[in-house]
Amino acid sequence: MRQVQTAVLERDTTFVSDFATEPYEVAWAGEARFFVHTLAASGDDLAVRLVTQISPDGLTWCDLDGHEHVVTGPGLVTWPVGQFGQWLRLRGTVAGNSPSAKLRIYLTVKS
Amino acid sequence: MTTMERPDLAAEIRSAILSADPRLSKFSPLRRILTYDDFNSGTHGWTELLGNYNGNGDLSTVDDHMRDFRPPQLSNCSFFDIGSHGAMTGSYALKLATRAYQGHTATAIRRLTMSGRGLLQIEAYFTFKAEATIDGSAGDQFGDVTWDGNLHPSEAQFGCFTVATDLCGDGGLRYHTVARYLNTTLDNKLSRQWVYPIVPEPTPREHLEGKVKLAYGADFTAPDPKDWHQFGEPQELCYNEVPTKVNWHYLRWVIDTAARRNVELQVNDRIMDMSAVPVPPYKERYDSLENLLNFYFSVRTHSTVRNFLFLDSVLISTEW
Repeated sequence: MRQVQTAVLERDTTFVSDFATEPYEVAWAGEARFFVHTLAASGDDLAVRLVTQISPDGLTWCDLDGHEHVVTGPGLVTWPVGQFGQWLRLRGTVAGNSPSAKLRIYLTVKS
Repeated sequence: MTTMERPDLAAEIRSAILSADPRLSKFSPLRRILTYDDFNSGTHGWTELLGNYNGNGDLSTVDDHMRDFRPPQLSNCSFFDIGSHGAMTGSYALKLATRAYQGHTATAIRRLTMSGRGLLQIEAYFTFKAEATIDGSAGDQFGDVTWDGNLHPSEAQFGCFTVATDLCGDGGLRYHTVARYLNTTLDNKLSRQWVYPIVPEPTPREHLEGKVKLAYGADFTAPDPKDWHQFGEPQELCYNEVPTKVNWHYLRWVIDTAARRNVELQVNDRIMDMSAVPVPPYKERYDSLENLLNFYFSVRTHSTVRNFLFLDSVLISTEW
C-alpha cells in the first residue's frame, strides 16, 4: 500500500501582501499536489499568484517551474508537483486594490 | 526443568525476545505494548493538534492560540552543511517545526483510549535543534551564549519541548500530566531545567464560556510563566554544539492512571522521581471524553528562529 499524507500548510489565513508558506519536508514522496481553497476574497482586480518552490536545505529557495496559478475569487485551485527534492513550499504574490484573500492551503504527498 | 522450578520463566522468555529484537531492545516496555512507532512507514497517527470549532466547521472559531500548531513532517534530518543525516532507526524521524515567531508552538498528538487503569509509560528517542541561520544575520552571540568554538549561539535559540497527556474518565474527570524541558528562559538564557505546570491547560470550552482568551503564540499548556515549577536538578543534554548535528536521547516517562499521579521521568542516565509533582484536574466534568488517552509532544520557540523536535521512535506501553 502506498503512503500518503495531507498537510494543511495554511488554515483559513487571510493574506493581504506577498507571502511564503512554511517549509515542508517531502523527501519520502514521489509525487505531490497543492490544493488552494479560497474561502473569501475582496479588493478590485484581486490576483493571488502562486508558485511552487523547492529547496535543497529548507533555507534557500527557488521556483520549481515557470507556472503561476492565479486566484481571483473563491473556489478551489489545484496542480500537480513532480521532480522535487526534499522540501516544498508556495510563494504567493498578492495584487489588486486593497486585496485580501482567505486561503486554506493543502499539500498532499504520495509515495 | 519445569515452570514450577523456574517461576520467572515467562519473564525470562519475554526479556530474551525483547533483547533479540533490535526495534524493541532499546526500550523497556511495560507488560502490554500499546503502540510502537519508528516513522519509516508514516506518521503512525501522530498528528497536528487543533483547537475546537463550531457546528458549521468555521475555523475562525478556533482559539487564536490553538489554530496554528503546524503539521508534523517525516524528515530524514537533512541540513545545509552535511546533507542527509538520517534518523536513529532507518531514514526517517517525525519532525515538529515551529514558525520563526517568538512564542510559537508546534505539536504532534496521538489519540487513544484507555482499556484499563494503572501504569502507563511512554518512551521515545528524540533530539532537538534550532534552525540554522546562514544569511549572515545571526552573529556569534545570542542570549547568554557567545560562540567559542564549542558552545554555539544556536543552542540559546531553542526554547523548550514538552511531553504531556490529556486523560479523562470515571465520569468526565479530566486531567493532564506534563513534563517540559526548559532549555532557555523566555529571555533566552540557558536554563536546562525540567518543569511542570501547576494549573490545567486552558480549554476551548473555557474560552467559549468567557473564562480565558489567549493570543496567538501564547503558551497553550499553561500560559502564565509563574505557573511553571521546577522538578529535579538542571540537566544538560547533548545539543552537540551546532544546529546541524543530531544526537538521539532516550526518554521514559511513567504515570499511574489508577491513582491519577505522576511516577517518574527518565532522560538518558537521569531518573527523576515525579511522584510529588501534582496533577491538577479540571474542576468541571467533560463529556465525550470517556477513557480519553492522548499523548502529545510539543516544541516552543522563545526566539524568532524555528525550533525543531525530532522523534526517531516512540513506544507506549501499559501495565493493564
